[in-house]
Amino acid sequence: MDFLRPLTWDEALAYKAGRPEATPIQGGTDVMVEINLDKGRPAALLDLNPISELTGWSAEGRTVRVGAGVTYSRLIGELGSLLPGLAQAARTVGSPQIRNRGTVAGNLGAASPAGDSHPPLLASGAVVEAESARGRRMIPIGEFYTGVKRNALAPDELIRAVHVPAATGPQYFSKIGTRNAMVIAVCSFAIALHPGERRIGTGIGSAAPTPRRAVAAEEFLAGELDWDGRSALDPGVARRFGELVAEAASPIDDVRGRADYRLHSLSVMARRALGWAWKDYAGRGSA
Amino acid sequence: MTTVAMPNVGSALDRVDALEKVTGRARYAYENFPADLAYAVPVQATIAKGEISAVDVDAVLQLPGVIAAIWHANAPRLAPRNGDPELAVLQSSRVAYRGQYVAVVVAETLESASEAARVLRVRYDADEHDVELRPGHPGLYRPDHVNPYFPTDTEQGDPDAALAAARVVVDATYSTPAEHNNPMEPHATVAVWDAEGLTVYDSTQGASNIRDTLAPLFGLPPGSVRVISPHVGGGFGAKARAHPHVALAALAAKQVGRPVKLAVTRQQMFAVTGYRTPTIQRVRLGADADGRLTAIVHEAIEQSSTVSEFAEQTAVPTRMMYAAPNRRTTHRLVRLDVPTPSWMRAPGEAPGMYALESAMDELAIACRIDPIELRIRNEPDVDPESGRPFSSRNLVACLREGARRFGWAGRDPEPGIRREGGLLVGTGVAASVFPVYRMPSQATARAEPDGGFTVRIAAADIGTGARTVLTQIAADALDAPMDRVRVEIGDSALPPAWVAGGSAGTASWGTAVVRACEALMDVLHGRAGDVPPEGLEASADTTQEVRAQRRFAQHAFGAQFAEVAVDMDTGEARVRRLLGVFAAGRILNPKTARSQLIGGMTMGLSMALLEESVMDQEFGDYLNHDFAQYHIAASADVRDIDAVWIEEDDPGLNPMGSKGIGEIGIVGTAAAIANAVHHATGVRVRDLPIRLDKLVHGVI
Ligand SMILES: Cc1cc2nc3c(=O)[nH]c(=O)nc-3n(C[C@H](O)[C@H](O)[C@H](O)COP(=O)(O)OP(=O)(O)OC[C@H]3O[C@@H](n4cnc5c(N)ncnc54)[C@H](O)[C@@H]3O)c2cc1C
Repeated sequence: MDFLRPLTWDEALAYKAGRPEATPIQGGTDVMVEINLDKGRPAALLDLNPISELTGWSAEGRTVRVGAGVTYSRLIGELGSLLPGLAQAARTVGSPQIRNRGTVAGNLGAASPAGDSHPPLLASGAVVEAESARGRRMIPIGEFYTGVKRNALAPDELIRAVHVPAATGPQYFSKIGTRNAMVIAVCSFAIALHPGERRIGTGIGSAAPTPRRAVAAEEFLAGELDWDGRSALDPGVARRFGELVAEAASPIDDVRGRADYRLHSLSVMARRALGWAWKDYAGRGSA
Repeated sequence: MTTVAMPNVGSALDRVDALEKVTGRARYAYENFPADLAYAVPVQATIAKGEISAVDVDAVLQLPGVIAAIWHANAPRLAPRNGDPELAVLQSSRVAYRGQYVAVVVAETLESASEAARVLRVRYDADEHDVELRPGHPGLYRPDHVNPYFPTDTEQGDPDAALAAARVVVDATYSTPAEHNNPMEPHATVAVWDAEGLTVYDSTQGASNIRDTLAPLFGLPPGSVRVISPHVGGGFGAKARAHPHVALAALAAKQVGRPVKLAVTRQQMFAVTGYRTPTIQRVRLGADADGRLTAIVHEAIEQSSTVSEFAEQTAVPTRMMYAAPNRRTTHRLVRLDVPTPSWMRAPGEAPGMYALESAMDELAIACRIDPIELRIRNEPDVDPESGRPFSSRNLVACLREGARRFGWAGRDPEPGIRREGGLLVGTGVAASVFPVYRMPSQATARAEPDGGFTVRIAAADIGTGARTVLTQIAADALDAPMDRVRVEIGDSALPPAWVAGGSAGTASWGTAVVRACEALMDVLHGRAGDVPPEGLEASADTTQEVRAQRRFAQHAFGAQFAEVAVDMDTGEARVRRLLGVFAAGRILNPKTARSQLIGGMTMGLSMALLEESVMDQEFGDYLNHDFAQYHIAASADVRDIDAVWIEEDDPGLNPMGSKGIGEIGIVGTAAAIANAVHHATGVRVRDLPIRLDKLVHGVI
């Protein structure tokens, strides 16, 4: 196994162009587990850690550009107010050790349906900045996940950053696991209110072959909410929203949970997350 | 027997090996690197039943660094005789379970050996397998006895008639899944042959025991085998006997004529280092309107492999817990195409008391009696089956003290009514028990010319603090300060000793240590304290003393209290508080004892909510065979846990006055939590673990 250690981004792109089969490694919290479990042996590892540029983030207009090397711990510590949904999800990842190493870009690279970054990225409408020696591509998050543990990256492409719109309204992430830490989601859900556009964003995790939005639920809810009056949430609307979220999922039975349980708990989480978000929104209005 | 006054014993002393451990100087089995070391990586069967038809050894011998590839056609013959058939590694072409060792590759490096093991082609003729424990299985039979030597079935009076006549009857079936011990340190063995015989660096709960197992297997006298195991990173029973990897390492080293290291990976452990059998248990209780038991029937079914019979004593605690004139316990076993189960912390008691103590809770509700009061009403005067008196039995004291500390008084028994926001809250109680064992052991005590003492015994410290506690015991018996006493353990070259198992380590070893120290003190007094330049030594063998022990019924008891909160919409159950109150003789070191007890209770919490080895019916494999999928409680799941004990002065036990505390902590915890979940939600989960979906389907 070759170990490639570029010092600059351009070098990394050149390596990847020359050896598209090389596996990028950032935090290594997925890559090293796979190697340990002997699930495929990469011909080469492309270590992105020396590239210091990747560990920065910047607010560009209304969007936050999060470098591929920004760890969950830093996201929690530094981006909690700009990207509350993503930061909440980051708090639930693994353990402190994993959060000190793991990254959103790694989560995207792995593209597991259970990855905790995905629901809030979907709900916010993030864009993945991918690049190769051939040039740069901006991939809307909705087009990024292409199958179970598959994504839209071309073999010679790397993720350079993720562009996440700064929150303009309340955002919540909810995850069900069998224990309080170190747990892969049985299922998860994220909601983002976009009051300026009177739009709702959603993201479902661990309940379909890929992370996905609940589009019908978003549209239904956007039309039902009292955006101007900020009046109390109609329980019927919340219930219907939950049902529509569950309808958008297509879960399976596995060791972590049964499909019918996942559908049930998704609608519960959707209802709850909406409740919290609307409470914040309505509270802010009357204050 | 009288107990001796003891200044060190009873003190919350720090571990004597703490510095060695935290600085990484303590050497574990894997960390031995004898000269000329080679690495062995086993190959495991990929079918659950059948015959190995061919192994393509030649292909892997071409790979760089590969020294040997061994399977039954080219393996040296072993002499398992009457020993454990699981240890007859590579002796037959038969595959009895998926994951069984079918070959081993030895190479210059771990990497070369792993690669060769990965590509080694093994061809099989597979048969249909059966890996499912189910009620009414046609293969169910009655084993001769249950672990370790209890009668399989017992019966008194006429339980069927008593049940038919009872005012109140509870008749419920409970099940527990297969669970894997999963000590933090996976098993590892380094085997070295030389002119004198075999030396094995091993991670074991009993060096003497492993020596006595290995010697006949390789046709050697016990004196030609040495097992060295000074530090062990946990065992929970999985290291109490030799598992196949130990035999495989020694066999491979013999074949290649070089020292060989074999480390079992976490994933491999799920097939080859034992586990707790799944159980299906039917419990029937008959009582009068006041909750006084008239009949107790506990019938358990379990599994073992086709290789070897391991019959767990699931219903044995039911034989002595509560008074009732009519009683029956039975055990039935079915031999499946599965790995052989073995001991896991509190074998028998842990799953058996989950069922019995859940049934007692159901009876309390049926009789409208407080569950603590119900247990007090059914407290026996003597051991109900044997009629022997208890040397001490303080279950009632534990229940009362626990009730006081936990705030049990005024508890509304009505289930499903305490809401806190979206949560339902409830409390539960269960009794806990573990038998007192003491086994023969030997020890020597030496007075050194520099005024210090050395005590030797082949005991094992598997993380319990045994090295520390034995030092305390020796220091008191020698009337010397702790820092003048050195206790050497973990080596079969030391005087032979019982394993760290059955919660009997401290009692067994401590007795030998006290007797050896007493003998040395006698010699010293005879010489007016004069120690010659070569030192003075005395030894003890407790075989006679242990055999002569008066036959009391002897058990440690406890009461477990749990408070849970259940999210009624998602089924997430979290344990808010756990309290254990124990009566276990004299507590020799409150610090290490507390760690054992809360460790056991944490494992019980894990058993209640998380642990479950899921059998893949199609492939015959425990499919969640790693820590990503086999969930054990994390620190964040243990919010508020406490273990306390009540003073118990029982001179009938051993010179220290102690009962075992390594296992009782896990007993009853799962029932206390399941009972609390019922109190919170009204849903009775009779099938561990209490998974989210089980509660949701109960609540919605
Ligand atoms: C104990 C443990 C607990 C965990 N708990 C959770 C959890 O609760 N929730 C959760 O979502 N995940 C969890 N994970 C999985 C993992 O931590 C996350 O997926 C994490 O986000 C991966 O980030 P990383 O930087 O470590 O990725 P790496 O392991 O370095 O890489 C992951 C994948 O992304 C690719 N990749 C990395 N960087 C790039 C790049 N710049 N461009 C293109 N491809 C790239 C890699 O080639 C690889 O395929 C856990 C893992 C462990 C070991």
